[in-house]
Amino acid sequence: MRPDAPRKIERAMDVLVVGGGPAGMACASACARQGLSVTLVDQRASLGGAIFRQPVGGAAPVPQPASSRQRWRRLLADLTSAPGLDLRLETLFLGLEADGLALIEDRNAGRVLSLRPRALVLATGAVERILPRPGWTLPGVVTAGGLQVLMKETGRPPAGRVVLAGSGPLLLAVAAQMTGLGHPPLAILEAGDPLRRWSAGLALIAHPALLREAAGYLATLARARVPWHRGAVLRRIAAESEGEGETLVATWTDRRGASHSLAADRIALHDGLAENAFGLPEDAAASPRRPLVLRIGDCRAALGAPAAIADGTAAGERIAARLASPTGRQATDAETEPAALARHRAAQGHIARAFAPLAPVSPADLADDTVLCRCEGRTVGDLKRLLAEDEGLSPRELKLSGRFAMGACQGRFCAANTAALTSSLTGATTPFAPGAFTGQRWPIRPVPIAALAAPAPAPSLPDESQT
Amino acid sequence: MFNPWGQPVATAHPQPASVVVAGAGIIGSAAAYFLARRGLNVTVLDALAPAAEASGAADGAVSVASKRPGPLMQAALQGIALYRRLAGLDPDPGTGLQGDDAPLAGLFHPRSTFIVAASPTERAVLEAHAAALAQAGVAVAAIEPPAIQARFPALSAAACLVIEVRGDGHAIGYQVVRQLLAAARVPVLRGCPVTRLDIDAAGGRIRAVETPRGRIAADAFVFATGNGTAPLFGLQAVLTPRKGQLLITERDLALSRAMPGSIMSGRYLLSKGSQTRALDAGGEQASASAARGFGLVVDPLRTGQFLIGGTREDHGDKRETDLAAVSRILSDAVALVPGLAGVRLLRGFAGARTAVRDGLPLVGPLPGLANGFLATGFEGDGICLGPVTGAALADLVCGTAPALDLAPFAPSRFAELQAAA
Amino acid sequence: MTRPTFFWMSRPIPFSDGESIAAALTAAGIVSLGRDPVGQSARYFCGIGACQACTVRVAGVPREACLTRAEAGARVEPLHPAPLHLVQGEPGDAA
Ligand SMILES: Cc1cc2nc3c(=O)[nH]c(=O)nc-3n(C[C@H](O)[C@H](O)[C@H](O)COP(=O)(O)OP(=O)(O)OC[C@H]3O[C@@H](n4cnc5c(N)ncnc54)[C@H](O)[C@@H]3O)c2cc1C
Ligand SMILES: Cc1cc2nc3c(=O)[nH]c(=O)nc-3n(C[C@H](O)[C@H](O)[C@H](O)COP(=O)(O)OP(=O)(O)OC[C@H]3O[C@@H](n4cnc5c(N)ncnc54)[C@H](O)[C@@H]3O)c2cc1C
Ligand code: FES
Repeated sequence: MRPDAPRKIERAMDVLVVGGGPAGMACASACARQGLSVTLVDQRASLGGAIFRQPVGGAAPVPQPASSRQRWRRLLADLTSAPGLDLRLETLFLGLEADGLALIEDRNAGRVLSLRPRALVLATGAVERILPRPGWTLPGVVTAGGLQVLMKETGRPPAGRVVLAGSGPLLLAVAAQMTGLGHPPLAILEAGDPLRRWSAGLALIAHPALLREAAGYLATLARARVPWHRGAVLRRIAAESEGEGETLVATWTDRRGASHSLAADRIALHDGLAENAFGLPEDAAASPRRPLVLRIGDCRAALGAPAAIADGTAAGERIAARLASPTGRQATDAETEPAALARHRAAQGHIARAFAPLAPVSPADLADDTVLCRCEGRTVGDLKRLLAEDEGLSPRELKLSGRFAMGACQGRFCAANTAALTSSLTGATTPFAPGAFTGQRWPIRPVPIAALAAPAPAPSLPDESQT
Repeated sequence: MFNPWGQPVATAHPQPASVVVAGAGIIGSAAAYFLARRGLNVTVLDALAPAAEASGAADGAVSVASKRPGPLMQAALQGIALYRRLAGLDPDPGTGLQGDDAPLAGLFHPRSTFIVAASPTERAVLEAHAAALAQAGVAVAAIEPPAIQARFPALSAAACLVIEVRGDGHAIGYQVVRQLLAAARVPVLRGCPVTRLDIDAAGGRIRAVETPRGRIAADAFVFATGNGTAPLFGLQAVLTPRKGQLLITERDLALSRAMPGSIMSGRYLLSKGSQTRALDAGGEQASASAARGFGLVVDPLRTGQFLIGGTREDHGDKRETDLAAVSRILSDAVALVPGLAGVRLLRGFAGARTAVRDGLPLVGPLPGLANGFLATGFEGDGICLGPVTGAALADLVCGTAPALDLAPFAPSRFAELQAAA
Repeated sequence: MTRPTFFWMSRPIPFSDGESIAAALTAAGIVSLGRDPVGQSARYFCGIGACQACTVRVAGVPREACLTRAEAGARVEPLHPAPLHLVQGEPGDAA
């Protein structure tokens, strides 16, 4: 064995699609129908992504609107009929290494494999934005999406008293799904007030499907008398002992500034969606060893499932054309957003305006002991102290000295908040970008060393025995 | 300069009032710190930012373990002694300088280095090496099975000889840089590369350096510009960027407790210093890069994480890590520390050392330029040698005799530099 | 019919076929998944492998509880053994 040779199998294909949500599924089918060889990987045991997450072990699916069920059947049928698709589940994409190899971790085999695709499609969806608040790291505090994953997976609502807090339509969707499963939440604390933002609401009339969906959620919640407090800001969460165990106490203020508290077993946070593109490679057509890199669906811009499907389908055709053309690899046609997405982008813009917090909390106002980076336990005060010593610190210096974005989540939950706080503390004219803290990297997720290491080398390798 | 009572002391040369230090790596920062302590008006400028290059991408072994007797070992021993004083571990024997007593308090951590042989070949090399270290006065202890398991529980049973090198330590480059610059209290200009020297040829002096932010004049100039030195002084044939890939794991406290110090594979002795000595047979493989050397170091960090390295590759064009190297390094690491198999790799990164044609650093006056000084080419030892070199540079600039013998490191030994000046 | 179980430390945890370790632990009322070296509680949070806060040791290998299917008889334990001394998240590595 060559001492430098990894045990990895290097396999070539036209297209590697990362993410088996609607965008990735649509793109994989479209590419396969263009005659391209396609590998589709997803970290989970089943396809579907954030919206079409499948129940396990015969659990009843969380009720979905008919239009949504139909979309899912179509996606699945297209994919199953796609010729020669190589589908790998429970397989994580880890990034592109220096020689342009795409690395995937087969969780069942416990091994990292290297692939050489001509095009790499990143369809890794979105992550939720979570603003820091005192107590957000306590056990029992989850993201609204995290709560939804458990519900969709098991068909069971979360146990105990649940409070949903933050901002955005997902809070309504999750509350309605809980209610549908017979266990409504105690309350929804919404920082915005879509009912008062008339212009944004009116603009949504052009998007009747979205309004119908929202009306359905609101009707469900009204029937179950779930309070939807608007202009409500969750200030902090504390753990208090209650009888045998612990309970969470949420302190929130209403739009007049009056303070209230709520005891709960679970608090689910959500402050919006952001592209799950942390550390992912950019399109670097300059190097012939690297594949074309495209981002589609929520990973490019969080615009919802119909947009993700349209984006994935359109990308299939673009990839075929670019791989066929001798200049296609130059990426001179900077990946532009397909026209079909404009409508979805407009709709998401209206939604964002409708849900804009009435009185946004500046990160600079947070108490010093508020955790900013959970992985490394770094606080708002830690960042303030660092910047007080030297305002001119670069993101890299802040990262190295402050350990922000250095932990296991690799900045997914702290980079944006750290960047925002740095900008507000330094009064930076050009705000710090979260990407300055995360960069491009591999592995984009921590990977067991055993999966990367080759078998133990012979005690003495030929190249050394001569010295 | 001043004596311990704060009274001015006469020196051979008139001491310059202002000095520009180009490069805010560990060498430039240490120079700035010691110059500022002498009361000079110091300005630091860096093409990027402090510790943006090698000093921020290094393991931080402050170590003689891999040195062979000679000027580098001597310098390393003095380097460690100075770290101990700057960290407040040893008393400062009245250097006669006012100022902060222990600027590196808490940043230098003494710990042993354990060199491990896992084959008869390695054992033979290691035995010879240990004898040389002992002869040079370094405290070493040989550990054989079964004592190995008791002293170093994390090691694989394949370890047939372990040499414990006592008195080594660890310091993290970017932390040292940050702390020295903070203690120096001098202005640091980021994003400010020196593009050209303005030389008064007749007088044999540098008048100023030119930067995109303008011309900066001073009485003296120190160039600690790492891999930026070659283009500035036409030293491409003397200096080579030597890339190294390093890996960081997650925390594993249990494994960390089973590792009383850093380990270095006996094979490291074969690759360090001369990349050609451990030429890798896999060089023709996937990587388009030239042949490269592999050495294995596993350093338990204070956080409970592990730093694992690394490669020596004679190019500096890429900062990334590649699968072939990472997989090879990790395989070697697991062979020596089996418990690492169950730890997760968090990230990898690469940095470029500055290697010199003859293997020794360049520290001293720039030939033909009375007020110009150069300090670079520390290859894999700059963290260890940073403070002691900075102190020596301050002596040079101020016209006092450095404690470190700089004769073997004189830049004038290269004809290329004579031509450039 | 009895459901299959895995072990959280020594406690048997029932699960349904295909269910994630996180879902089964949650259903069993286990919210805190051990302490990390920084002194915080490991716990389920994002559900999609992004936050890494649910990482546990499954048969010796660190895995996100939210992404890993439960298997009968598997040994699941906190990522970090009971903290003897907690190292504050002190700087300690490069880049
Ligand atoms: C938490 C959450 C809840 C949402 N709820 C709703 C809702 O109730 N109603 C609604 O209309 N829309 C909802 N959306 C939006 C909607 O789900 C998305 O717009 C749509 O699913 C986007 O599809 P996608 O294919 O781009 O991404 P996703 O559906 O998110 O798919 C991404 C896929 O990539 C996989 N993946 C990620 N990283 C890796 C990796 N490194 N390796 C391998 N696989 C990886 C994931 O497992 C996932 O299957 C929600 C989004 C989120 C994030
Ligand atoms: C992977 C790796 C592992 C290592 N491990 C160890 C170890 O364990 N122990 C040890 O002792 N050493 C180690 N080293 C070596 C050590 O990091 C270097 O020797 C040391 O950092 C060199 O410091 P420096 O200040 O000379 O250079 P650098 O840190 O490279 O600093 C040079 C600075 O000059 C700036 N610059 C460049 N050109 C210009 C210009 N024209 N104008 C202005 N500024 C300029 C750069 O931006 C840079 O900040 C390692 C190095 C690497 C890469
Ligand atoms: S809950 Fe976030 S990674 Fe599992």
